[in-house]
Amino acid sequence: MSRLDHWFEGMARQSARRVSRRHWFSRFGAVLVGGAALPLLPVARAAEKHTLGEDGVKGPEGDPTRCEYWRHCAIDGFLCSCCGGSHTACPPGTEMSPVTWIGTCRNPADGKDYIISYNDCCGKTYCGRCMCNRNEGERPLYHWYRNNDINWCGGAKAQTYSCSTAVVVKTAKEAQPEK
Amino acid sequence: MKRLVATLGILLMTQSAAADSYEEHDYILNCSGCHRMDGSGSRTVPPLDAMPELSGKPGAREYWIRVPGAAQAPLSDARLAALMNWLVERFTGKTVEPAYTAKEVGELRRNPLRDPIERRKAILRLPAR
Repeated sequence: MSRLDHWFEGMARQSARRVSRRHWFSRFGAVLVGGAALPLLPVARAAEKHTLGEDGVKGPEGDPTRCEYWRHCAIDGFLCSCCGGSHTACPPGTEMSPVTWIGTCRNPADGKDYIISYNDCCGKTYCGRCMCNRNEGERPLYHWYRNNDINWCGGAKAQTYSCSTAVVVKTAKEAQPEK
Repeated sequence: MKRLVATLGILLMTQSAAADSYEEHDYILNCSGCHRMDGSGSRTVPPLDAMPELSGKPGAREYWIRVPGAAQAPLSDARLAALMNWLVERFTGKTVEPAYTAKEVGELRRNPLRDPIERRKAILRLPAR
């Protein structure tokens, strides 16, 4: 036991001889301040973006600007979040179509199915960015009920398709049977 | 603190609006895309809030199941019957008497209308029962 005591004593005396108290305080202070300032750096914030995204979902599935975003499971079109709007709002100068393609998607954060309305934004030329064509649960045109290839801008004032949104309507009672 | 937690819990529970019944769920998923959530329809889709015009007229009961939207909906006969009992009451304000059964709906939907608009006009010309 005394050997351990001696060893510690030796270490403590050696560090007291070599390292000044001020030096130690300055280093310790730097660690404290540096640790607190780290999240302010743009690098840290960029990394944070993908830790917890929209709707409490991690990674690309929680990022409304990505095709992988969980609400985009049945989408077919350009993402409005990439075209000057957001996943729930139309870009300026376009009008949200009142008629819409509706499906269900499962939110990976809570494992529940949600009814999603893919309202198209109409009135300006097609966006052309972030094409996303996942179509989960879609059926061929002869099942017109479950086909999204018609122009949903038919109900809007202008028929030109620009991009698509993904709005949560409600939690679903069950997943769409075609899935 | 406990009260705060309880309040937050209640708020969270009421936050995510769930479809209350299968009828409402089926309506949102299968009808509301075109007829819209409030049934007002659009330039190209007939409004459901015009249903009271037909209410009580002979043939209206059968017509509502034989229109393309109802007859071709990807739902079982039982689910369609339940949905239509709910839907007719919601948009006409009157309960369906007697209620649609899966058997009745099954027979009607297998005989869909070729010209629903013409059929509707014909029903409207008839006097109410």
